[in-house]
Amino acid sequence: MIADHLFFAGINTLLAWSVYVVLLSGSLSFAQGAFMALGCYCAGVLTVKLGWPLLPATLVAGVFSAVIAFLVGYPTVKLKGIYFILVTLGVTVCVRVLLENFKFIGGVGGFGGMHGADVYAVAATLGGVGGLLYLFSLGSWQRICDAVREDELVAASMGINVVMVKLLTIATGAFIAGLAGSLYGHYMNFVRPENFDVLLSIYVVLYVVLGGVNNMWGSLLGAFVMTLLPEYFRILAEWRPTVFGLSILLILLLRPQGILQFRTLTVKKRGALGS
Amino acid sequence: MFVGQLLNGLVNGAMYSLVALGFTLIIGVLDKLNFTHPEIFMFGGFVGIISIEFLPLPWALLVSFLVGGVLGVITEWIAFRRFKRSDSKITAALSSMALGLVFTDCVQKYWGTEPVSLPNLPSWMGKNIELSGVQFPYLHFFILIVTFVLMFLLQAFIHQTRMGRQIRAVAESPTNAALLGIDVTRVSQAVFFISSGLAAEAGLLLSLRSASANSEIGLTFGLKALAIMAIGGLGDMRGAMLGGLLIGVLESSLYLFGLGRWVEITVWVVVILTMIIKPSGLFSARIKLQESRA
Amino acid sequence: MTPPHEKHLMRIEHLSKDFGGISAINDLSLDVNAGELLGIIGPNGAGKTALINTITGFYQASSGQIHFEQQDITHLSIHDIAMLGIGRTFQNIRLFKRLSVLENVLVARKSFFRHPFQWFNRQSSPRQQMDAALACLSILNLSEKINQSAASLSYGDARRLEIARALAGEPKMLLLDEPAAGMNEFETQQLIEDIQIIRSQVSCVILIEHDMNLIRALSTRVVAMDFGSKLCEGTAQEVLSHPEVLSAYLGDEEEDVD
Repeated sequence: MIADHLFFAGINTLLAWSVYVVLLSGSLSFAQGAFMALGCYCAGVLTVKLGWPLLPATLVAGVFSAVIAFLVGYPTVKLKGIYFILVTLGVTVCVRVLLENFKFIGGVGGFGGMHGADVYAVAATLGGVGGLLYLFSLGSWQRICDAVREDELVAASMGINVVMVKLLTIATGAFIAGLAGSLYGHYMNFVRPENFDVLLSIYVVLYVVLGGVNNMWGSLLGAFVMTLLPEYFRILAEWRPTVFGLSILLILLLRPQGILQFRTLTVKKRGALGS
Repeated sequence: MFVGQLLNGLVNGAMYSLVALGFTLIIGVLDKLNFTHPEIFMFGGFVGIISIEFLPLPWALLVSFLVGGVLGVITEWIAFRRFKRSDSKITAALSSMALGLVFTDCVQKYWGTEPVSLPNLPSWMGKNIELSGVQFPYLHFFILIVTFVLMFLLQAFIHQTRMGRQIRAVAESPTNAALLGIDVTRVSQAVFFISSGLAAEAGLLLSLRSASANSEIGLTFGLKALAIMAIGGLGDMRGAMLGGLLIGVLESSLYLFGLGRWVEITVWVVVILTMIIKPSGLFSARIKLQESRA
Repeated sequence: MTPPHEKHLMRIEHLSKDFGGISAINDLSLDVNAGELLGIIGPNGAGKTALINTITGFYQASSGQIHFEQQDITHLSIHDIAMLGIGRTFQNIRLFKRLSVLENVLVARKSFFRHPFQWFNRQSSPRQQMDAALACLSILNLSEKINQSAASLSYGDARRLEIARALAGEPKMLLLDEPAAGMNEFETQQLIEDIQIIRSQVSCVILIEHDMNLIRALSTRVVAMDFGSKLCEGTAQEVLSHPEVLSAYLGDEEEDVD
C-alpha cells in the first residue's frame, strides 16, 4: 500500500535528519535508534497508560529524548571521531537492553496498544521539522555550525561555545528521532526493543551518506530512495542490504574527496545577503 | 561452579581478544577502522561448515585463517585503497561498513538467517575432562590453546620477522617508512591479511563452541571487539588481549551473580566509562592516534 | 602579590607553561596598557606564539596568572576569554576554508551570543551584523571579494581576512601573530596602514612579528623574548639595539626573518 510506504519513507527521513543535525556540528552519531526507542516508549506510556492524546505525547517524547541526549552527551561531547562513535553505539545497545529489562513497558516481549499515527501525521511532522531545518540553514546558526565543524579551536577563539553548540545539535537530533519513534510506535501498534537496534542506527547513518551530507535534502533523498525503491523492484527488496551497501560503496568510491564535503557556497544566497 | 564460569569467561575473552587484536592491528599500524572486520569474523564460522565437512580439524583451522586473510585483502582493496588521505578516514570506515552489510546479506542469502549447525564435529569436542571433581569441556581448553598459540605467533611475527619490522616501521610513521623504501601497500595487505585471518579464526572457534555458525554475531560479538579495542587503547596489542580477557571474565561474573540479563551491555558500559575517565584506554601506549580528546 | 593596577588592561604575572620537560614560557611577567601597540619579538622558539596561546586559553598555564581588566582569566575556556574581548589571529592561517570571505567574518559577529540563544539582544539585528562585518572587511580592503570562497584567496588577502575576522568580534585587545609573514614589501606597507586604522577600533594591539619594519613603524613599546622569558622591553629603538636581543638573533642587526 502506498500510504504504508510513504509512512516509512517519512519516518526514515526524520531519522536521517536526526543524524544530519548532529553531523552539522561535526559528530557522527549511531545512537539515533536509541533515541527513537526512547521517544517511542515514552509516548507509548503517555498514550496507553496515561491516556494522553497523540500530539502532546509525541512532543513530550521528543523532549524526553532530547533531555536524555543532553545528559548523556555532556560528558562525552568532547570526544572525537571514533571515540564518539563508539559511545553512541554503546548507548544504542544499552538503551535496548534497558528497555528489554523493564517489565513495566513489556520487556523483551514488547509493548503494544499504541495507535493513532498515520501518513498525514508523518507528513505534517516532516513539514514542520523540514521547515525548521530549512530556516535554520539560511541563518547564522548554520554558519556557527559550519565554523565548529571546520575548526573547533578557531571557532572557540571567536567566542563560540563549542560544547554547547554540539550539545544542542545532539539534543535536537534526539528530539527529531524521538518524534519519529513516537509516530512509528503509534502506527505499528506494537513494538519490541529489538526493533531499535544497532543495525537500524547504522542504516540511518547510511541513508544520509547515500543521499549526500551537503544539506538536508540529501537525507531526504537517501531515505526515500532506500525505502521506496525496494517496494517497487522486488529484487531490490530481497537483496536490500547488498544493494544498499553496494550503492554506498559506489557513491563513496566515485567521490574520493570524501563525503564530509559540506555546504558549498550557493550563489543565490550570497546575492540576497551580500548586497 | 565458580571455576567453571571463570574458564567460560576466559574462553569468551580469548575469542574477544582475537577479534579485538585484529581491529587494533589495523588501527594501530594503518590508522584505519575496518568495520568489515566483524563480518569476516562471522564468516569464519561459515567457512568452518564447509571445511570441517571435508577436512580434518587442524586443516579446517588453517583454511578459516586463510580465507579470512584473503577476504581481508579484498576488503583493503575495495574499501580502503582509494581513501588514503587523512580526511577520508571516515569515508573509508563507512565504506567498510557498507561492505560489511553486503557480506552479511550474501551469507544470509545462501545459508539463511538462522544458525546453521556444524557437521561432523570430532567426538572429543563434546567430552569433558575432570579436574578436582569439576567437569571441564575439552573444547574450552582447545580454544584457549589455539588462541594463545595464535597470539604468541603474532607477537613472534611482529617482533622477529622482516615483515614484522616493516609493520612496526609503518606503525611509527608511514611516510618515514615509505622513504626507507618500505612498500606500504604490501604492509597494508599483510596487516589486513593477518588481522582478518585472526578474526575468521575466532569465528570458527566460536562456532565450534556453539556447534553452529550464526550470521548475526558480527553485529553483536564483533562490535564488542571494537569496544574492547577502545578499552584497551587503540592500537595497543596488549590492551586488546587483556581487554578481551577482562570483558570475558566480567561477563561470566555477572552470570555468577545472577545478573545475566545485563551481560550484553557489560562491555558497552565499560567502554563508555573508559571514554569518560581515560579516553586513551588502559594502555595508551604506542602508535599514533589521530583522534584524541580535545 | 600586588593587586592589579587600574590602568593595566592586561597583567601577566610569573607565567609559566611547560610541556613535559620543555619550558615554553618561563616566569614571564608583563603589563599591557590600553591605547598601546605592544610589539613582541624574538627568535623562533622564543615562546611568542606559546604566549598568545596561553593568554587566549589554547594552552593552560602551568603556573602564574593572567588578569584582563582586573579579571582573572588564567583558567578560563577559550570562548569565555574571547567573549571578554580578546581576539587573535594565527601564525598558520586558519580560515574557515569552505565558507566565503563574508561568512568568515559573520561568524565572528554571531559569536556575541554566548549561548546561541539570545535572539532578543537588541544590538544584533541581521542588518547591523552585516554592516559591521562589511565595515571590517572594507578596513582590510577586502570589499571586492566578500563572496569568494576563503580557500580561493591569495596569501596576502587570506592574512588580511584573518585580521578582519578577529576585528569583527569587536575585541578590546587584538593579538596578531606574525601577520606580515610571507608578505612582500608592498603588502607589508599596506598592512602597516591597515593596522594604523585598526588601532582606532581596538583598545590595544599586541603584535608578534619578525619583520622589524612593522615593529618600528607601529609599536609604542616592544618586548623581546627568548627561551620563554622576557629579555628586555622599551621602545623599538631601545630594544632593537639591545645587545642581548642582537645576540639572540645570532648577531644579525636588522632582519626580515621569515
